[in-house]
Amino acid sequence: MEEIRSAYLDETLDTVRAADFLQYRSKDLPTWCPGCGYFGIVDALYRACRELDLKQENIVTVSGIGCSGRTPIFINTYGFHTLHGRSIPVATGLKLAREDLTVFAVAGDGDALGIGGGHLPHVARKNINITFLLFDNSIYGLTKGQSSSTTPHEMKTSSHPAGNPDTPLNPIRLALAYGASFVARGYAGDPQGLKDIIKNGILYQGFSFIQILTPCVTFDKENRTWKNLKENVVDLTPRMEEKNMETAMRLAQNEPHGVGIFFWDKKRPHYQEILRNLNKGN
Amino acid sequence: MKDIDIVIEICGSAGEGTISAGEILSRFMSGQGFEIMSFDSYPAEIRGFGKCVAHTRISSNPIYSPGKLADVLISLNDNHAISQLPTLKESGILIYDSQPARPHEEDKSVAGRTKPGMISYGIPLNMLAHKAAGNARGMNMVALGALSALFHVDKDRFTDSIKARYGKKKQVVIDANVNSFLEGYDWAKENIKKSDPYSFEGVNLPEQKEKLIVNGNQLVAQAALDANLMFYAGYPITPATKIMEILSKELPKHGGTLLQTEDEIAAIGAVIGAGFGGKRAMTATSGPGFALMTEFTGLSVMAEVPAVIIDSQRAGPSTGMPTKTEQSDFNSAVMGGTGDCPRIVLAPADTKSCYEATVLALYFAEKYQTLVVVLLDFFLSNSIKNIDVPKKPAKKYRIANIAPKKEDLKDYKRYKITKSGISPRAVPGTPGGIFFSTGLEHNEYGRPDYSQAGHLKMTQKRYDKFNAVLVEAPAPEISAMGRGKVDIGVISWGSSAGAAREAVMAAQKEGIKAASFSSMMVSPFPEKALIKFADNCRKILIPELNFSGQFADFATCILKRPVEKLNFITGRPMASEDILQKMREM
Repeated sequence: MEEIRSAYLDETLDTVRAADFLQYRSKDLPTWCPGCGYFGIVDALYRACRELDLKQENIVTVSGIGCSGRTPIFINTYGFHTLHGRSIPVATGLKLAREDLTVFAVAGDGDALGIGGGHLPHVARKNINITFLLFDNSIYGLTKGQSSSTTPHEMKTSSHPAGNPDTPLNPIRLALAYGASFVARGYAGDPQGLKDIIKNGILYQGFSFIQILTPCVTFDKENRTWKNLKENVVDLTPRMEEKNMETAMRLAQNEPHGVGIFFWDKKRPHYQEILRNLNKGN
Repeated sequence: MKDIDIVIEICGSAGEGTISAGEILSRFMSGQGFEIMSFDSYPAEIRGFGKCVAHTRISSNPIYSPGKLADVLISLNDNHAISQLPTLKESGILIYDSQPARPHEEDKSVAGRTKPGMISYGIPLNMLAHKAAGNARGMNMVALGALSALFHVDKDRFTDSIKARYGKKKQVVIDANVNSFLEGYDWAKENIKKSDPYSFEGVNLPEQKEKLIVNGNQLVAQAALDANLMFYAGYPITPATKIMEILSKELPKHGGTLLQTEDEIAAIGAVIGAGFGGKRAMTATSGPGFALMTEFTGLSVMAEVPAVIIDSQRAGPSTGMPTKTEQSDFNSAVMGGTGDCPRIVLAPADTKSCYEATVLALYFAEKYQTLVVVLLDFFLSNSIKNIDVPKKPAKKYRIANIAPKKEDLKDYKRYKITKSGISPRAVPGTPGGIFFSTGLEHNEYGRPDYSQAGHLKMTQKRYDKFNAVLVEAPAPEISAMGRGKVDIGVISWGSSAGAAREAVMAAQKEGIKAASFSSMMVSPFPEKALIKFADNCRKILIPELNFSGQFADFATCILKRPVEKLNFITGRPMASEDILQKMREM
């Protein structure tokens, strides 16, 4: 456990204060388990907002259901905790109605790839200008440890005590195949690196898909643990300079623990720009 | 001045100009000052040679229902017209093709199937169409020409109307249509010896100001634009699709955005997202889509985010009968979903009130921060009526959010308990207004709270809105009760109300003491008004277009006395004749 350094432990408070992002933190204490990777994710999110100097009242954080669903409670922005799997459509409507706002959609692996998996292709192909954070701990945490869409094959879970019969999805490959124009993977144990990715995602005017590798310290003791992540996570940035689809697909296939920005099509217009262009003629 | 009230049906195969002939007839008659109501029926399949019927009622007096039986049946295709013959009155008139392109097999001609008492006029429709334009395409116009000659309709005015209808087309198209009409007119004038009593001669109606000829879907779209709609999300589904198609063209011109989503779940999700952002938003759907939206309807009520759903009901559960009308989503709209979930439901009774209902829906949703469902049905969505141009909504109805004041923002409680149940609502972007919304039970700040007292307090708050909205809800439509008790009170809702009203008027003429009641507001229901009405009625009759009597059961709970149900699931609109017949039997 000594490897775990949560942003809220006493010894880190000084650094937190020095980073000057406390205004993005709500007064509510997170209800996540001690040692949860999500602390690292919100830490990165606070830092990204601070570095971009976003006004809290101009941000809305939209979530689904599950441990990740509670995120907006702990962030001092407008927040909307919606339905299981539905943060994407709600964030889409919000952004299209209020282009002036910065909109984060957050979801867990069950949210984004299980119950709400049908929304991902469409938000990607429409290129809605929101930043999507996939809190991927490869397990259903809030319902106590059932297999999710990213649980490894044959891993024993509370819904599959004999081993998971399903083959896990590869979120990066899916996002690439769906035509997302900003596809990245970050790691909850590296808030600085994750912050940079989220910052770029916010800056990108279009749909940014960010998968975040994070452990469930309570219900997954064998697969996506801090120990395993620490040993396996590798920064792919040097190998990603080209940002072409072939390289991105190959890396997505071969590097399940590789972090960095796999693909980024900076020129593609977002949905509202496309609409404006199309409606100009009419 | 003499009155006219006539139902004309044109029956043909898809692609024979059946529906457009009905439309031309309706437009012309509306221009002449008549009240018109028309309702077309066509198959759910796009291709093929399915049966189409253009049904039009034309009257010199106000009309509230399309009429069940036809006075006149025009057959453009005998195969289909034979199955339409049962809806022709016993003394009705048949107009048919006396020289069809291919002679009918024995028993396959509609003229051979008429009952004694009916009048048949054979017109060589096909031959005259060829004579006028070289092909059979103008048969529909020949028929309209013959109809005009038979019923003494002004020839010149009608041809002007056809010219106006095809004004933007090539001259050859206009000529073909006008010439076909004239061929039919002249042939009928010369060759038919009239033996029916119908005549438009001498029916001179006062000049009317410009009327709109519209269906419910068009009015919903227009009302939404007039009531500040800024966002629409939807998924194609019969019979609601047209609302999305109109708005996709018009909404961007008003600065709004339209989103076609991957499914109805995403559509209502996006509507709620836009509503959270403080913009007026709406979706339209039918039964299957409404079912998918159910979970989100609960979120709208729980998180108090405005959302408007137009549900144009079609027949049956599941996919049912997509192009048939029914009133069977009452339970689903008023009570569907989980938990104690109060929502506002409006059910317009006729075409023109589709406008009012939509304006009110957007207004109520924003002001009361909740879900509003508008129950249309296939008939209201598609039937055409000529109406006065609706008055645009006053500012009060266009901007209705109750925003927090400065002192509210000092310690902002998004879900503050108030007498009306309405808490001042900040929209994102408001400094000091930051809040968190959730579908979890929550306290006044929006933070999760599962305490007994908290759940009771918040549930009560959501129901308190009911009392507040009832104060400004549209009043029920009650026909003049006169003095003393009536024998039969007819209580109806939605598109059945027009037929109920006509049935009561007809019953009164027959000496049956009767009165009618209908309310556009069905949730919350104006219970006091209903009880007061029923107290004056010896018997209660509740006609509606569903099998089990969904509204009748609902009303019985309020009235706590037995009611007589009258239910149809024929896929056709409610007929006043059927209600009247039932009243005679009661």
